[in-house]
Amino acid sequence: MTAISTAFGLVFDPTVLAVIMGSAMFGMFVGAMPGLTATMATALLVPVTFFMAPVPALGAIVTATAMAIFAGDIPAAMLRMPGTPASAAYADESYEMTKKGQLNLAMGANLVFSVLGGIFGVAILILLAPVLAEVAINFSSFEYFWLACLGLTCAVFIGTGDPLKGLLSLFIGLAIGCIGIDPAAGQPRFTFGNVDLLSGINFIPTLIGMFAVSELLRGAVTMEKGGHVVAQAVGNLMTGIGGVMKRYWFNFLRGSMIGTVIGALPGAGADIASWVSYAISKKTSKEPEKFGKGHVEGIVDATSANNSALGAAWIPALVFGIPGDSITAIVIGVLYMKGMNPGPSVFLQTPELIYAVFIIFILANLLMFPLGWAAIKSAKQILRVPRNILLPIILIFCIVGSYAMTNSLYGVVLMVGMGVFGWLLEEHGVPVAPLILGLVLGEMLEQNFMSSMIKADGSLLGFLSRPIAGVLGVCTMAIWALMIWRALTFGASRAAAGAKA
Amino acid sequence: MRFNDAVVGTAFLLLAGAMIAMTFTFPAFPGQKYGPSLFPRIIGGGIILCSVLLMLREWRGGGRPLLVLDAWARRPGRLASFALMLAAMVFYILASEPLGFMPTAFLIQLVLFLWFGVRPITALIVASVMTIAVQYFFGSLMRVPLPRGILDSVL
Amino acid sequence: MSDIISRRSVLAGAAAMGASGLIAAPAIAQAKWPSRPVTLVCPWGAGGGTDATARIIGAILEKNLGQPFNVVNRTGGSGVVGHSAIATAAPDGYTIGMITVEITMMHHQGLTELNPTSYTPLALMNEDPPGVQVKADSPYQNIKALADAIKAAPEGKFKASGTGQGGIWHLALIGWLQAMGLKPNHVAWAPSNGAAPAMQDLAAGGIDIVTCSVPEARAMIDAGKAKSLAIMAKARNPQFKDVPTLNETLAINYSVGAWRGIAGPKGLPDAIQATLTTELKKAFDSKEFQDFMNARGFGMTYQDQKGFAAFMAEGDKAMGSAMNAAGLAKKPA
Repeated sequence: MTAISTAFGLVFDPTVLAVIMGSAMFGMFVGAMPGLTATMATALLVPVTFFMAPVPALGAIVTATAMAIFAGDIPAAMLRMPGTPASAAYADESYEMTKKGQLNLAMGANLVFSVLGGIFGVAILILLAPVLAEVAINFSSFEYFWLACLGLTCAVFIGTGDPLKGLLSLFIGLAIGCIGIDPAAGQPRFTFGNVDLLSGINFIPTLIGMFAVSELLRGAVTMEKGGHVVAQAVGNLMTGIGGVMKRYWFNFLRGSMIGTVIGALPGAGADIASWVSYAISKKTSKEPEKFGKGHVEGIVDATSANNSALGAAWIPALVFGIPGDSITAIVIGVLYMKGMNPGPSVFLQTPELIYAVFIIFILANLLMFPLGWAAIKSAKQILRVPRNILLPIILIFCIVGSYAMTNSLYGVVLMVGMGVFGWLLEEHGVPVAPLILGLVLGEMLEQNFMSSMIKADGSLLGFLSRPIAGVLGVCTMAIWALMIWRALTFGASRAAAGAKA
Repeated sequence: MRFNDAVVGTAFLLLAGAMIAMTFTFPAFPGQKYGPSLFPRIIGGGIILCSVLLMLREWRGGGRPLLVLDAWARRPGRLASFALMLAAMVFYILASEPLGFMPTAFLIQLVLFLWFGVRPITALIVASVMTIAVQYFFGSLMRVPLPRGILDSVL
Repeated sequence: MSDIISRRSVLAGAAAMGASGLIAAPAIAQAKWPSRPVTLVCPWGAGGGTDATARIIGAILEKNLGQPFNVVNRTGGSGVVGHSAIATAAPDGYTIGMITVEITMMHHQGLTELNPTSYTPLALMNEDPPGVQVKADSPYQNIKALADAIKAAPEGKFKASGTGQGGIWHLALIGWLQAMGLKPNHVAWAPSNGAAPAMQDLAAGGIDIVTCSVPEARAMIDAGKAKSLAIMAKARNPQFKDVPTLNETLAINYSVGAWRGIAGPKGLPDAIQATLTTELKKAFDSKEFQDFMNARGFGMTYQDQKGFAAFMAEGDKAMGSAMNAAGLAKKPA
């Protein structure tokens, strides 16, 4: 108990609180800017934290990242420009809501469920860290291979409309992911001797290109129509949130659970969590036809998931010193610097610091509510800016954001190329979301497939020989078999109906 | 601008074919049975399958024209807006290294504002303020190495 | 306001620039370096050991030289992208970078033309030898037992990992196997995306051996999930005193290590070279650097410009012959 009261003393110190406040605003800003990710915010804080005491140092990182993951939702809803990759899964959905005049509801849901999801993740971190970490550490390349396969099935659900074109889009994404040095043998593929292509197709410029630049191109030709200002429903942010909460409380719980589990797995973070939970939400929804047309249900799942994943990523980081995502990879470095060697012993040696981290986590999530509210309020002014002023400004942000990811013009070239390509795809009814998912999961899939093949001496049975891998594998194949069967029977019945007509 | 699915299918069929053809130049890895060519071939196969299905579906449905032009594509003004948006991005790629971020971003915004009918004085003010704000936030605060160009010695 | 000036100066040309009086600034700048922020390129991603080392060096240089040293991650292509960004930068002292052991490997694989002589070496800051790690409850509790089991086992039965195919830790394994008189592929290499996933796979029981450096394996070792049996170095690491060297246990004198150093593009002005060399030595000796490297368990090895160049030349030759022997090289060394 004394450790906990010491921890409170450490956190509720004027300097620490000031640092938390400052980094909260910093994180909010970084998250809302496209191309600037929560990981970048953390990396930039590192040199600052070198000269700080452990508690403010960790407080700065915890707060900044929590805010950044939420803030990514704001430009996603207003401009179809996800501020961080974690918001990409439901950027379309919230943007459609805005176009329908439901910006308040979209943002309110994003804010409330980000806060709640974040708190859920922290609660699990506090209560179950050691148990969950013990499970997560037993995942080898076989298990990760099946997880990646399960992730790919999501593509079938997130694509709207035409499943065949969704599948095509997924394959295109996987193909684009093959560009660069292959993850197993280190051989360059499809690089045409170009140094930049060796580094592969960077994910964030692609994201900005496919979502935001294609929207700019569409915007440029509809400029004269002028009528950009969609009348937004009256009322404040919280109008209707009570109803959403009552109706979709289960979605919140499910999204947070999925986020926590995926976050706790080393190597899979908030972005994958939000894709998966959005797909599951659509799959199990009673009204899947509303998805993609501005429906709040999937947003509840996904925005809870990405914020809960953030806290859960600290589980393997604190218990084993194994990063759950790229943010905690940096955090582990900071922990070492501050003499808190992560691992089971840290809970015994410096429990007050661990409790302090927990308290800051809760504080950061609570602080997210008023700060997020203020951020949304001020960002809403953006929608009043005439479109002929807004579009060129967005273009500059897209360019700088893409540049920031590669620190070179390659990011900008990639953004333009992918923007035009994405525009063409959408013109032809090919959804871009499955492509992005393929790009995210492609390397994980191939790396773990090749590694597992070598480990199993080329025997496919090896993929099922470990208990967890076996269960995951059987589940994946069962889902695929079911989908193919349904596609076939559905196709047959439609063909029969067509013959009758 | 919309081609029908048979054209889309053909395009991706050719791309996937080229991709698979390229995998035959990949070296096999010593002491390893599965080389870097395995995965692209599987994916190429998937694209071909989807493309063929798309083409079949289009032919069975039959009768859609090869290319449908949207209304805007026939109006020179809108076509120019579209081209200008793209040209602005290409201009940035070509000019930002020699000129630097600030002049390039300023010019792009100014030209686009004026083309889209923003009043010149507003255009000037917004372009200047935004350029400085972005340079400050990304360049100074976030330490993104934005090209310095001709302002190298001043910044 | 400065935009308007800049735009006019584009149009009016350099003469107007001179007239505006701004020309005085660069003239003074030449006299004292650095007069504006310096970019420190890191070829590896944020969160890794190279990034952390670059950031601490950057922070110390910034403190001592009074100008920001911005660490810029230019990642991808197994390090090729970042290394070529350093080599092709303008040699004005405002872009330097951290180069790593991969510069002595990539050109043998035919990934790039760049090699250690493409740079102005400034200082070697760190070197980490590989260790031999097994799962904590592995049946082989010392290096001798493991070596005997490997020799007795059929080709490809044991699986090892630590990095991608042909990466530094793969070469470490190959060198060790060859020193024992075995074929380079006697132990199969399961490529992984770096040392951390490999250690996780080891703890999960997916592979038998990981040959990454001991600091990289440290988290799993401290968590009681893995064990380090030996290191492939000339001497024990003071941070991990209980881990013997290969030489004292198996009488194999094989050592290869991952290293990190600071370098600039070729043709860096002499005055800047001199300042940086002095400052890097000062940074290496500083308490901040020593504390940081000790905390992470990173090995500290310093070499000045000449020593660093000789060190790289020697490493380049050794890597070339090792990679040739393993069939990993595209062209003869």
